[in-house]
Amino acid sequence: MLTCCDDSSLVVDRLADQNRGQNTSVICFYFDFAARNEQTATSMLGSLLKQVISGMERVPENISRSLQAVSGKPQLGDIVRMLQLITSSQPTFMVIDALDECIPVQRFRLFDSLKEIVDKSPDARIFVTGRPHIRAEIEWSLAGRMISVSVVPPRDDIVRFLRVRLSEDETPDAMDESLEADILEKIPGSMPEMCVVAMVLGIQSYFTG
Amino acid sequence: MTLPLHCQKSGIGFTGCAWLHRNVLGIQKELSYQRCFIGPRFSSTKRHPAFLSLLAISSTDHPILLRCDRVGNKQSKMSQYTIGDSNTNCLNTMNSYNTSNVWNNCTVAEDLSPLLTWLSPLDPGLRHSDIQERRVNNVGEWLMGTKEFSRWSGLSEGGKGDEVVLFYYRNPSVGKTFIR
Repeated sequence: MLTCCDDSSLVVDRLADQNRGQNTSVICFYFDFAARNEQTATSMLGSLLKQVISGMERVPENISRSLQAVSGKPQLGDIVRMLQLITSSQPTFMVIDALDECIPVQRFRLFDSLKEIVDKSPDARIFVTGRPHIRAEIEWSLAGRMISVSVVPPRDDIVRFLRVRLSEDETPDAMDESLEADILEKIPGSMPEMCVVAMVLGIQSYFTG
Repeated sequence: MTLPLHCQKSGIGFTGCAWLHRNVLGIQKELSYQRCFIGPRFSSTKRHPAFLSLLAISSTDHPILLRCDRVGNKQSKMSQYTIGDSNTNCLNTMNSYNTSNVWNNCTVAEDLSPLLTWLSPLDPGLRHSDIQERRVNNVGEWLMGTKEFSRWSGLSEGGKGDEVVLFYYRNPSVGKTFIR
């Protein structure tokens, strides 16, 4: 599928390429509604902290001490403080995919925590994907420090995607030149929703019923 | 009693990950480990220098630290360290490892990786690797060409803008459940 998580992962890789060797961290998290009970603000930010520390050649003494001082289950406040220490000393990109799939109570905890982090870290940047209804939540939480982009995949991207997926078709007997041409002509020219539904249902079955 | 098993390697790739899964999960079985996962693997692609750590929670009474020096080739070598009771030596009979040393407890504190496990059980690196594998080349590149992305990421002439968050959303009528 042409999904937001594909775009998020591309952004992660591109940011990592652009900032290679520049003491910049690129960390990511993918929310998934099916795992909503495990993906709390604490476990999510804990995993970001884990990534950023793991990527360091040398862990600063203050972080090392803070980490060793954690006893028992890490608390959200401990994790946020450590993230503040790190992101205020080096540029950090956080890529968060499908934020709308985080349950609301955890999402608002996360917003509060992210605000605490970016308030102390002028070089921290957050890339978020999600449904539009959380846009107002982000704007409210981060006091307007947000730009947003509405996504409509370009026609070329859709065609390129369709060609690759058609070439991987596991039932080639059901495909002929006419059907393939029909797919490549109609899907990219349709409403984006139609593209998505067609991809979900399976390209052939959508056209053949 | 839960104790860490730790294995780390720099510059590991897919082959190395597979090697670790095969060999270390074998150890896991032998020692009746209750739980084991590899992480963070997010930067462990062939394009990125990586730090890979493998951690497991042991059901034995013996804390064990494994340090993987070279993996995924014929020169694979894993140093093993049994921490604490020097009489334990619970891995010394395994043939796949070349060296065996006994460490004392104070060295555990020097290595933060086992502590990182306690920060979060989640490993988004695995998801990232999966998506990376099935992504179609050159699809989605347009996003990085937008002026919003350049301004947000600091690629534009004026450097980073004041906006902290770049929010990227799809048409309201497109259900994300559907596009999975």
